Amino acid sequence: MTSDQTPNPRRAKDQYRWSAAGFIAPGVLLVAVLLYLPLLWTTFLSLTEYNGLGDPEWVGFANYVEMLDDPEFIGSVLNTLLWVAGTLLVPVGIGLGVALLTWNLKGGTWLRLPFLIPYALSGIGVGVIWSFILSGDGALDQALAAFGIADTPRWLVDAPLNTVVMILATAWQGVGVNALLFTIGLQSIPKEPLEAARVDGANGLRLFTSILWPMLRPLTAVVVGLSIVASLKTFDIVQGMTKGGPGRASETLALTMYKETFVNSEYGLGSAIAVFLTVVTLAASILYLRQQLSSKHGV
Amino acid sequence: MSRIIRTTVLAVLGALWLLPVYLLLVNAAKSPESFTTKESWIPTDFSLLDNIAEAVRLSGLAESAASTLLYAVVAPAIAVVVGAAAGFAIVALRLRHGFAWFVVIFGGTVFPLQMILLPLFDAYSRVGLFDSRPGMIVVYTAISIPFSAFVMRNFFTGIAHNVFEAAVLDGASTWRIFARVYLPMASSALVAVFILQATFIWNDFLLGLVLSQSDTVRPIVTSLAGMQSTYGGAQMSTVLAGGLLVSLPTVVLFLFTQKFFARGLALGQY
Repeated sequence: MTSDQTPNPRRAKDQYRWSAAGFIAPGVLLVAVLLYLPLLWTTFLSLTEYNGLGDPEWVGFANYVEMLDDPEFIGSVLNTLLWVAGTLLVPVGIGLGVALLTWNLKGGTWLRLPFLIPYALSGIGVGVIWSFILSGDGALDQALAAFGIADTPRWLVDAPLNTVVMILATAWQGVGVNALLFTIGLQSIPKEPLEAARVDGANGLRLFTSILWPMLRPLTAVVVGLSIVASLKTFDIVQGMTKGGPGRASETLALTMYKETFVNSEYGLGSAIAVFLTVVTLAASILYLRQQLSSKHGV
Repeated sequence: MSRIIRTTVLAVLGALWLLPVYLLLVNAAKSPESFTTKESWIPTDFSLLDNIAEAVRLSGLAESAASTLLYAVVAPAIAVVVGAAAGFAIVALRLRHGFAWFVVIFGGTVFPLQMILLPLFDAYSRVGLFDSRPGMIVVYTAISIPFSAFVMRNFFTGIAHNVFEAAVLDGASTWRIFARVYLPMASSALVAVFILQATFIWNDFLLGLVLSQSDTVRPIVTSLAGMQSTYGGAQMSTVLAGGLLVSLPTVVLFLFTQKFFARGLALGQY
């Protein structure tokens, strides 16, 4: 904006004040009414005893105390941590591997395709397929039997193995999108330093550690942040495959919240778990929000 | 690493990745009579269409599909325009404290859905929106807005401000500038966001589980989950056929619009 086009910037600003308010109002209103109001109400309910009948009764932090005292809740926290670690290790790791392998490779787009097919599936869809594969004497057991391995564990029953195999099912779905993101990152690396490094004789691992990895770091922070946040919220696939069972052995925090609230009608306790999950998720989000909000490159 | 090794590793890994898809196709095509849990790897017959018809009949998938299509088209369509309007107010109209307002809208996306489920369920039940199509559309629209506003603000930041000033000099109203200049320039970003959100809504399970119950309103993935728990034991091939039917639209949409997807993801991630 140059000053001769707008003689009085201050006046120009005021001129659009109401118009600007009108343009942003629908977004702010919808988000406020449907997201922020419920958020505040859940926070309030977490400090009450309530089952949907009558009025919420103020109990202070009793729900939080009850929650932290409950071994099932601690188990749910541990399962959720396993999800966070597992989805970082497997889908992000393999995704980076696939991106590096297809990078500058003739036919790379086609070779990446098998990994992308499961991406757009719903968590329930993934669960339907894998529940079938992992059922007793199912496709996996048959394949193992063909290799002479007859004594297989009960994949979806034995804990914590069931959480591990569900993480692998999620990895099957998630590798493609991570590969796609890392590919975008690799393609945006300027050619000159790469060529210079190649001329200097760097290749393979050395090229990766000295040039690629440092340049991919901002993107990696985003992918890692997204992966952590998504895994903290894990619900669909567990609900679809084990319903948190057997018993409550494979519950994640999102599932525990759902059960306490909508199955047991423990609205206060369920809300306390939701608040706990939110605090953890927010802490993890800061990791990638800082990246998202501060930088504008690539757009 | 040589090209041949890289190609081989990728081909083997890729084949491994396709095995579950193969198993789904083969077993979803088996008639309930020829289906057995002991022989999953060998195709027997091709009754896929019968199984799909049976799945649709068992769980009212046709009604679910129609409703879900409505949600997945209408909600993101509203959300991209509302999000673009917010971005336009912040970037082009230079809304006062624009960044703070942006953070308010974008903040709606950073906490888990668990935080809003119970109050929405409670409020929806009280005002008669529970188990209603308008109720589902409203909630899907609201949760799609933060991402949409985020991407559109970023996109509009890349447009020189004198585009706006030139249009003002031509005597255009702000609404006209938004609808005739900014929206058309952003069409590729709008499409990218729309496709991402439509896929997200089509695949939603949790909101459908909490806010609906009838076959006519319930989103299709929630219906599929219900079908899996009810018929998963006795009629596995039917459930698999249902899973295939439910999954096909988003998988096909994604594979055909990969470029838009990648673009939407890139716009969203940075």
